[in-house]
Amino acid sequence: MEKGPVRFSLKSIESAGLTARDLEVIIGGIEVPEVWEPLGPTPMPKISTLRSWDFKLLDRYKPFYMPFCDQCCLCTYGKCDLTRGKRGSCGIDMSTQQGRIVTLACAIGASTHASHARHMLDRLIEKFGADTPINLGSEVNVEMPNTRLVVGVKPKTLGDLSQVLSYVEEQIVQTLSTTHTGQEASYLDYESKALHLGMLDHVAMEVADVAQIVAFNFPKGDPNAPLSEIGMGLLDVVKPMILLIGHNVSEGVEVIDYMSRNNLGKPGEVLEVAGLCCTAHDITRYESSAKIIGPISHQIRFIRSGAADTLIIDEQCITNLSFIEAQKVKTPFIAVSDKAAYGLPDVSEWSVEKIVASLTTGGLKGVFLPDLDKAAAVSVLTALQVAPLRQKFKVIPDVKELSIIASKCTHCGRCRRNCPIDLPVDDAIYSLKLGDSSKLAMLHDLCLGCGRCEWECPNHTPVLSLMMKAAEAKVKTEKYRIRVGRGPILDTEIREVGSPIVLGEIPGVIAFVGCANYPEGGLDVALMAREFARRRYIVTTSGCSAMSIAMYRNEEGLTPYEEFSGAFEAGGLVNVGSCVANAHISGAAIKIANIFARRPLRANYEEIADYILNRVGAVGVAWGAYSQKAASIATGFNRLGVPVILGPQGLKYRRMYLGRREDREAFTVYDVRTGRRVWIGPAPEHLIISVENRKEAMVMIAKLCLRPNDTTKGRMIKLTHYIDLYKKIYGKLPEDLHLFIRSEADIPVTFKDEVLSYLGKVGWSPWELPSIDPYYSENVFRKYYRGG
Amino acid sequence: MAVTPWQLGNIFGPRVAIQVKGDAAGRMIKNAKHPLLVAGGNVLKEFVGDKLYIEFIVELLKARDMPLIATGASYKDFADRGLIPVQIMNAVEVVDRLRDSDWSVDGKGPHDLVVFAGLSYQYLSQLLSCIKHFATHLRTICLDRYYHPNADLSFPNLTEEQWMENLKLLLDNARLR
Repeated sequence: MEKGPVRFSLKSIESAGLTARDLEVIIGGIEVPEVWEPLGPTPMPKISTLRSWDFKLLDRYKPFYMPFCDQCCLCTYGKCDLTRGKRGSCGIDMSTQQGRIVTLACAIGASTHASHARHMLDRLIEKFGADTPINLGSEVNVEMPNTRLVVGVKPKTLGDLSQVLSYVEEQIVQTLSTTHTGQEASYLDYESKALHLGMLDHVAMEVADVAQIVAFNFPKGDPNAPLSEIGMGLLDVVKPMILLIGHNVSEGVEVIDYMSRNNLGKPGEVLEVAGLCCTAHDITRYESSAKIIGPISHQIRFIRSGAADTLIIDEQCITNLSFIEAQKVKTPFIAVSDKAAYGLPDVSEWSVEKIVASLTTGGLKGVFLPDLDKAAAVSVLTALQVAPLRQKFKVIPDVKELSIIASKCTHCGRCRRNCPIDLPVDDAIYSLKLGDSSKLAMLHDLCLGCGRCEWECPNHTPVLSLMMKAAEAKVKTEKYRIRVGRGPILDTEIREVGSPIVLGEIPGVIAFVGCANYPEGGLDVALMAREFARRRYIVTTSGCSAMSIAMYRNEEGLTPYEEFSGAFEAGGLVNVGSCVANAHISGAAIKIANIFARRPLRANYEEIADYILNRVGAVGVAWGAYSQKAASIATGFNRLGVPVILGPQGLKYRRMYLGRREDREAFTVYDVRTGRRVWIGPAPEHLIISVENRKEAMVMIAKLCLRPNDTTKGRMIKLTHYIDLYKKIYGKLPEDLHLFIRSEADIPVTFKDEVLSYLGKVGWSPWELPSIDPYYSENVFRKYYRGG
Repeated sequence: MAVTPWQLGNIFGPRVAIQVKGDAAGRMIKNAKHPLLVAGGNVLKEFVGDKLYIEFIVELLKARDMPLIATGASYKDFADRGLIPVQIMNAVEVVDRLRDSDWSVDGKGPHDLVVFAGLSYQYLSQLLSCIKHFATHLRTICLDRYYHPNADLSFPNLTEEQWMENLKLLLDNARLR
């Protein structure tokens, strides 16, 4: 029997001096600070609470596995060969093993965000007090939609968030335990667990981001959040620079505050403060004069440029090579998170003066310093003192050295064969040997920056350093503008766009999220974002994708953030912020159901997810997803009914959720108007799928925005984009077009004759019920169906 | 010397592809009952000698008629060359259906051999893994110039010249007419 909080309601209670009505009491759960709506059916769901919803999803969108490895090597029975139907010593088969690995990945991802949130929150409570109110401004009343939906509470203070996080942490532990050898025996149940973890991840992210927004006074949904600088061109700075890499902004804030307190002004005045990866997003949310170098792929190359005079590493998406690389360029190194201490001496008990002296002249190359206040002082003082000594010492070779280093190349090809995206590094280095650096320069924009090519080279050629030099002229010009992360979507914006989104008149909400493991560079992301913003979709973005979108200029020299508005509106381009700000994107979908459609939100997951699946044309695009965090974020979107498209590298997540357009039964829903089961066409066709290249992605994005609830006008608008993109890319009408046309009124006017001719050929006839009120969940259908 | 996968870190499992030369690959295709060709977007990027890879695929299809599925937005380029693929599909969608032993793209009975060409290495590696484990009724062969351990049959890693020679051999031996 499932254990959980005991809850009961009292109509009224009277005692001496107290009269109360409509009380709801929870014992063993979270204290509810305010009862704002009746408690829904699934507060604080356990592993199997939403299993029936998951199984509904998995019935339509069946798991599709592509093992990355033929064996299991997780216990001492192994390695076990699971090839072609064999089972391991514990009895596990290949499908279940894949579901298990996916569950593990999602557990890693969710726990990473949860631990990030915990670290952040504990510090903020210590610093600002547990009573610090959660106030996101007058235009955000539904501050934490994921939390309200999943946990069933409406947190009012930072202290309340701690309780929310406790629930998430407990559930992650429970779910992770199921991956032990010999536990779960069903791949479908593993997928349900992965979906559970994905959902928890969005709560954890929401806690992390809302906590930092209210404590650090980040933008609170401001569509006109300021523009900040981004780009590798910043390596040309002459001022001392502190570089922060990672995801936890706490230290960045301390650095900026320390500078301010000590009359060192804002970033850029005496010292530069720059960041890489999500920490960079968040320091610009705190102070827009800080700078963003770029996504994760720029880490090693930028460190080697020698621009940084102190390097601070916090957590997540940091390379294990950062300390090694920092030593090469004599950059003092400070690890501030106990999650990544690099084996360095803990100097927490030392005085600031002693640490600075050790790092500047004492021969100590790096320290572990989890005391963030002290680390801020050390980083600033160290940067100021060491800058004149190291004089931006770098390991990028001079022009003369390029061909000398490359002269050892035998064109063996091992560099290419160890490149995650198969870049022709061998050809580029060999060309350099012959005096042509142009091929190597061209790889600069495509390179993931992992450095695997260098480890494979028999001559230890510093490929990334050569690449930096070859592309130097271009790199110096790489200075762009990015709108700093604005955080939540305003309730007022939701009210404006809720109706046109649900009716389909705004053709879709597209979220470009995730990391920089791009198949052909970040340009693809910028081109896709721009294309759909121009088509009047609502485009949202976060993390490394948000950075890559900035690194593009249109014909007028404008970056997309300068070209499009920052509002959540048709044709808007909304940078919500760092990875944890992804919760605002899922939150926007939830708020559409709640604010626009007035669906009960509190602990009402299945109904809201059913609403989003059927009515909110939202699609996530994780073009360069690489991490376990990205896996859990995507899986969380999936449970909420939002399809996700991955770039080609995403196949290495080993699992897709695929629908089949020919499976009519799977795409049959309940119509609440008639009580009948109705086929809706494959909309949306998949829940998560990887595509081969950008062109394929463009068409898939437009298609996955289709929803059964689209009005005639909405369907016509969505089909206009789908047909237009399809024709441009494939030169013909979509082969599945007839599956989406319910009546002639759905046909876009501009393609009418051509489409009618096509429909005639395939024997299409109008649907009996072109307009329905669709529900996939029978539970939710029963709630609203008023018939017999 | 033992053959290694093209991507050095992609260490293969107990069951690996048999290396073949062009003549054996051609005979395999010729003798298949109902082969299927899946061509990806890289047929428009890679060259065989001085011709695009797609030109070779077109020649192969003229020599040995079989249904073609164009993935990765390669359809239009085939159509421009007078060769209409049976279907436009995403490669993941194709492999999903290939797990069903009675599925065929043209409704002419199940496929027994799937020929892959022009998909990026790691993308195809994952798709071949799915077929290896979950579509055991099928045989797979890859025509690209890199060894694919997850296929049933694959060329070893070849130089561009070796690849061109092997594709010529393949064409000669696959020819039905």
